[in-house]
Amino acid sequence: MNTQPIHLTEEDLVLLYYREPGLPGGAREHLRTCGTCSAAAESLAKTLNACDEWTVPEPPVDFSRGIWAGVAPRLEPRARRSWLLPARWLVPAFCALLLAAFLIGRVSKKPEPALAAGLSDQARQRIMAITLADHLDRAELLLTEISNATDTAPDFSSARYRAQDLVGEGRLILQTISAETGETATTSLLDEVERFMLEVANSPDRVTPEELQTLQRRMNSGSLLFKVRIIQSNFRTEGQKS
Amino acid sequence: MLNTQVAEIPAAQSEEFAIERVRRGDRDAFRVLVDQHARALFRLAYRMTGNEIDAEDMVQETFLKAWKQIAKFDGRASFGTWLHRICTNCTLDHLRTRQRRQETQPAVHAAKEDQSDPLSQIAGESPSPERLALSGQVSAILSATLADLTVMERTAFILRHYEGMGIESISNVLGVQPGAAKHSVFRAVQKLRQALEPVAGK
Ligand SMILES: [Zn+2]
Repeated sequence: MNTQPIHLTEEDLVLLYYREPGLPGGAREHLRTCGTCSAAAESLAKTLNACDEWTVPEPPVDFSRGIWAGVAPRLEPRARRSWLLPARWLVPAFCALLLAAFLIGRVSKKPEPALAAGLSDQARQRIMAITLADHLDRAELLLTEISNATDTAPDFSSARYRAQDLVGEGRLILQTISAETGETATTSLLDEVERFMLEVANSPDRVTPEELQTLQRRMNSGSLLFKVRIIQSNFRTEGQKS
Repeated sequence: MLNTQVAEIPAAQSEEFAIERVRRGDRDAFRVLVDQHARALFRLAYRMTGNEIDAEDMVQETFLKAWKQIAKFDGRASFGTWLHRICTNCTLDHLRTRQRRQETQPAVHAAKEDQSDPLSQIAGESPSPERLALSGQVSAILSATLADLTVMERTAFILRHYEGMGIESISNVLGVQPGAAKHSVFRAVQKLRQALEPVAGK
């Protein structure tokens, strides 16, 4: 069979244009030497290049916020296992109870409520480690995003809401473990995270490139993300020990 | 990984990071992914549907499916590619339903047909705002011609030309043999060529 085509077909030219495989042998060589085919290829390229002029309307700057508003209420929780709540709900709920129990105990100087009192030291430690790891996880995610944001990243509203949540959650955890352990590397990190998150929460919905850079500099000067990662990973490991 | 310099965390790494959290049911992490990919998906959906409202709906559907099916994301393709596949399929379903609806109400509603296909609307005689927004003659011809293609041809061409997807991947997305995907691209190009060559080719 002769693999050298007489002239390239329109289909061959389309494959060539899009650099798709499947061309007959010798097609490229033929194109280089045949005036008819190279003219046809050029004409096709002009037409297809013209398709690039089809512009799509640019959605508004806060487009993804609108999408999120439509999506968030419809997100189904992950599938449940048996009659229990999923672990990822159980742990925070349990931790909240435990933390509250610690706090009530401290404030009222009364014996700790039964739930917290009934837990072994080891179990309490573990739950605390998981709570801390989850909290720092979320902080790490937000810090990474801010660190990666470019000068043109304008919509800061979701970052602000999440920072607000982190401030509230962090305060509860900080109060609890300071009362337990006094000041440690962990409490000073939580403190640092809280101060940074407050700054994020108090930022405008649209940050200017300068404001963004200031935040990034603040974050990097104290290697905040780096420290959060290390401590988060330590607690994660501790929380996984049985 | 912990030794990574803070200032040099690449975006891909933060995406992986977010995906991992989404697997654990973290909605905040999912919002990060929505922020990152919504606009690109909108462009794809807009090209397929020819209308902003439908395109926005398709983007939402895509994210809802992605949330449900995150366990199926195996990281072989990039997360963006995976989302594009979901979006293409959601939009295809939508277009097919739209087409079926048009087919079941033929003669009586013939006059309304143009209104139910936004692409035809853009290409229509009256200069709608959408039409005015399209850049020039080429855009107008292009959208009119795309509206005349079959759903399969239109989708295959959009994936090949605007999304840079290879024929093999297109056939996967469309659930057809590579030969059929290739044929759809050819047919689309042929029709576009006939329409556009007088203004753009030669
Ligand atoms: Zn030739």
